[in-house]
Amino acid sequence: MRTRRTLALGAVLLALVISACTPGGGSTTPSASPAAQKPEVTVGSAGFDESAVVAEIYAQALEAHGYTVKRQLEIGERPDVQAALTSGRVNLVPEYLGGLASYLKADVSSDAKATFDAMQVKLAAEDLIAFDYSPGTDADGWAVRKETADQLNLKAMSDVAKVADQLVWGLAPGCPTNPVCGPGLKSTYGIDISKLQVESLSPCSTEMAQALNNSAIDVAQVCTTQPDIQRFNFVLLEDDKALQPAQNLAPVARKDLADAAPADFAETLNAVSAKLTTDELTKLNVEVSVNQTSFANAASQWLKDQGLI
Amino acid sequence: MEFLGAVFAWFTDPASWSGRNTIPLRLWEQVSLSAVSLALAVAIALPLGLYIGHTDRGSRLVVAIANIGRAVPSLGWLGIALPITLVLFQRGGLGFLPACIALVALGIPPIVTNTYAGLREVSRDLLDAGRGMGMAELQLLRRVEVPIALPVIMAGVRSSAVTIVATATLAAVVGGGTLGDFILQGLFVNDQPRIFGAAVLVALLALATEMVFGYLQRRVVSPGLGTG
Repeated sequence: MRTRRTLALGAVLLALVISACTPGGGSTTPSASPAAQKPEVTVGSAGFDESAVVAEIYAQALEAHGYTVKRQLEIGERPDVQAALTSGRVNLVPEYLGGLASYLKADVSSDAKATFDAMQVKLAAEDLIAFDYSPGTDADGWAVRKETADQLNLKAMSDVAKVADQLVWGLAPGCPTNPVCGPGLKSTYGIDISKLQVESLSPCSTEMAQALNNSAIDVAQVCTTQPDIQRFNFVLLEDDKALQPAQNLAPVARKDLADAAPADFAETLNAVSAKLTTDELTKLNVEVSVNQTSFANAASQWLKDQGLI
Repeated sequence: MEFLGAVFAWFTDPASWSGRNTIPLRLWEQVSLSAVSLALAVAIALPLGLYIGHTDRGSRLVVAIANIGRAVPSLGWLGIALPITLVLFQRGGLGFLPACIALVALGIPPIVTNTYAGLREVSRDLLDAGRGMGMAELQLLRRVEVPIALPVIMAGVRSSAVTIVATATLAAVVGGGTLGDFILQGLFVNDQPRIFGAAVLVALLALATEMVFGYLQRRVVSPGLGTG
């Protein structure tokens, strides 16, 4: 008798714990439409913070519209993520236009629309589909200190081209042979890096940012959504002659998921993407990479701030 | 096979041998950075090891502090050194200097611990005999302890040298060039053969260092201790 009662008590406790631990707790979903009609979504992401937090944002936005969403974040590099997507292990991932397009051997340019369209054609062949891309882009860029920008009146790469030889440049090793770095700077902006004072530093790294912040260099090669840009109050120079390939973000889904889902699936994703500007992406990176906020908390806070949930 | 062909093509590409980004230049950066770092590590660690080994004073503390160098990862040392050198020297704080500091920190522990251990292993009877013959402490160190402990000390220097040579690759991250620069280049322009080629060169350099210091280690065995 005693044993049975203990067991029963244990079972009740276990049930309580499980229900308490389950997100949503099995209570009412905010959406009016029943979840039964909505396909299950499994969101994946590449193995770095920005990709994971954006994936989490799409996941929570869909959950707010009554979707059941599983997560497989930080899968790895692009080939791994694509394999997970085509095999159906996940059915939705955030991607980058230029990166994915060149992976799929589609034409890549600084024109986001053209790159997106070229990518969409290649995706269709794999029974995948991309939804609207974000205004924000995570591309290679160049940043200067605030005081340098004020002093020399620098806003865009064309401005810095005029004073390039007065500045010390922090460039990626390999820049001289990378089409969108050395040769591109020369043909697009007339900046000849072989005639400049150059320090060869790891691009998009903290070291590069520290070197800029301490005046060891004056122009740093960064990633446009790198947290250090906000942390050190750098000025990101506008790529006004469009040298860099478009690296806007877009969610890519399996066709079977997109076909099975009602219209609010695309609407939800597109509403999120529309709010992902370069600035917002940088802020999200600061939140997760510098402040060490969890992907889930950073995502839900951002969605609330944007009025999306 | 195709990949190895691409690696070979990188080795034989004229651009790898002339200009501002050549294999000899990067190799020289790696070797010179390593040599200076090793010299400094020896200059700091050897006297320290000899002192604590001979006197056994403060040995626990010194060995514990020296081992911090082992506890902090090499990239961590760069992260500690770079902000300091940048604040002190701005542009001069890039490249050689922070990399050298990191490598010295990394190179000290094996030399200190081996020198200490080598000296402690010398038989107390020998030391007493020396003292009985009227040797001063410094004489004792120079003529009894060091010759006997030298193979163990050299083993420490060898392990330090190999660590430094292999890790000098990281200097590329802070603008120090070295063969690591090729690895970063390869990552940036997605050129796997270049990454592989540079990694092979680093491995060969580390092996060569190991062999040179291994030879030295065998040569310094005192004739009185020799097996023959």
